[in-house]
Amino acid sequence: MIRLENVSKVFKIKNKEVTAVDQANIHVKKGEIHGVIGYSGAGKSTLIRCVNMLEKPSAGKVIIDGEDITTHSANKLREARQKVGIIFQGFNLLKTATVYDNIAIPLKLIGLNKEEVKARTEKYLDIVGLADRHSNYPSQLSGGQKQRVAIARALSQEPEVLLSDEATSALDPETTESILDLLLKINREFGITILLITHEMNVIQKICDYVYVLENGKIVEDGNAIDLFTSPQHRTTKKFLSAIAQRNLSPSLISQLHLSGPVVRLTFIGDVTGKPLLAEVNQKFQVKSNILAANIIELKNGVIGNLVVHLIGDKNEIKEALSFLSKQNVGVEELRDDN
Amino acid sequence: MNGDFWGKWWPQYQQATIETFQMVGISLFYSILIGIPLGVLLVLSRPGQSWENKWVYQTLNIVVNIVRSIPFIILLFFILPFTKLIVGTSIGVKGVIVPLVLYTSPYIARLMETALLEVESGVIEAYTAMGIKTRHIIWHVMLREARSSIILGLTIATVSLVGATAMAGLVGAGGLGDLAYRYGHLRYEVDVMYITIFILIIIIQSVQSIGNRMAARLKKD
Repeated sequence: MIRLENVSKVFKIKNKEVTAVDQANIHVKKGEIHGVIGYSGAGKSTLIRCVNMLEKPSAGKVIIDGEDITTHSANKLREARQKVGIIFQGFNLLKTATVYDNIAIPLKLIGLNKEEVKARTEKYLDIVGLADRHSNYPSQLSGGQKQRVAIARALSQEPEVLLSDEATSALDPETTESILDLLLKINREFGITILLITHEMNVIQKICDYVYVLENGKIVEDGNAIDLFTSPQHRTTKKFLSAIAQRNLSPSLISQLHLSGPVVRLTFIGDVTGKPLLAEVNQKFQVKSNILAANIIELKNGVIGNLVVHLIGDKNEIKEALSFLSKQNVGVEELRDDN
Repeated sequence: MNGDFWGKWWPQYQQATIETFQMVGISLFYSILIGIPLGVLLVLSRPGQSWENKWVYQTLNIVVNIVRSIPFIILLFFILPFTKLIVGTSIGVKGVIVPLVLYTSPYIARLMETALLEVESGVIEAYTAMGIKTRHIIWHVMLREARSSIILGLTIATVSLVGATAMAGLVGAGGLGDLAYRYGHLRYEVDVMYITIFILIIIIQSVQSIGNRMAARLKKD
């Protein structure tokens, strides 16, 4: 549905070239939700703005629904843009227009007739749960409600793709949750393909099927959300993960514990999270385990459990215990004091 | 001041007030017609905007600055031949409209530029992203969102226009300023001058408060 092929964006600032996006490849299949995560300045905004050509890529192709829109004429681009909705961190509503008009005006401007405008505006206001606020002005709404209006405005054009440019970054955690639920709902009910950018790992965790990690304009790691959460490879990915779940103990603590036995991180995915495997290990082997840290991450497509345990016992017994766990599809990773 | 005074001066005041309103009204109308599109062009031809064009922007910028540098009294005489060419005469109310418009429209253009630049670029971007035509964005987003500042700008322009009409007497266009100058100042009829100034104060006050009130009503944030 959305395909970015080697998209680069180079800005010229005072004769100096700054590469904001460097050969990015993204492929979002129809009906999926993909997320790009990165720190501020990583190039996320530029990247997503390339998707609807608010920023013209310096190189590469942007293919929406099979059409390369980088070569479109101004008129064709305008038509193509009507199929791509976008919501922003700052909502970008008309301050001088009511909630109703904020949705109705763009519909009128793309050429719908009066009845269609009315029907669509009412339909989508209802979907975002703001049917009773249609005559309010944006200044009378909370941040979450403003974002709902913006979502209704984007949906009312009945796009096939929705882009989200940090749509929840200005909202408090509870409102963020409700907006994410709404995005999930429209993804399920209308099959809208969503590409979002964020710096919040919980956004990725909650709604994304697939994740790209962006650093200095480059996609440094990408993969299914579950894979990325269980075995992150890149330093930046690991840093993002530790923001939502404690992953590492301090090196001094590890080296101290190491004297009496290894410190191991066990990762449980899906069904295994339900089994009392550690208890089994304690029974089967001459090994005592001490849980140092534990957490559960609920992803859109599954649950991941993380345990950091300190194993005390005979070296060989520990080795066998670990290979037993591996066989049960538990991720085993020994933590050392150097990471 | 007695009945005699009013009997003598009333028709003069009436005439002068009508002339002032005519001059302000007509030149404001044409100045808006020229100034607003110029202001829009000044914004849209800027670097990074949808009609980005260095030449148009720089040329407009310089022309607006040059015209705004010329004092109205100089402009009034400087363009006499041009005025005659356009309206057929260079005296009377008709003759002063052209210099007034030429004086006010670049001013309005600047005020509109400032007002339009205040519109959040994000909203314009959102409408661009929805595939909406630039001319629709100008009307339904830029001018709409800036309407409160636009009204305030036009209020300022109107007030300065009333001031400029005072000099119109020099080409025989009359008006309140002319009345105060000729009778009040040159002929030492101090009463006449004070009353004229009083009327002008009322006009300016009303224009400003109507402008403020309209702007406040149009503002929704």
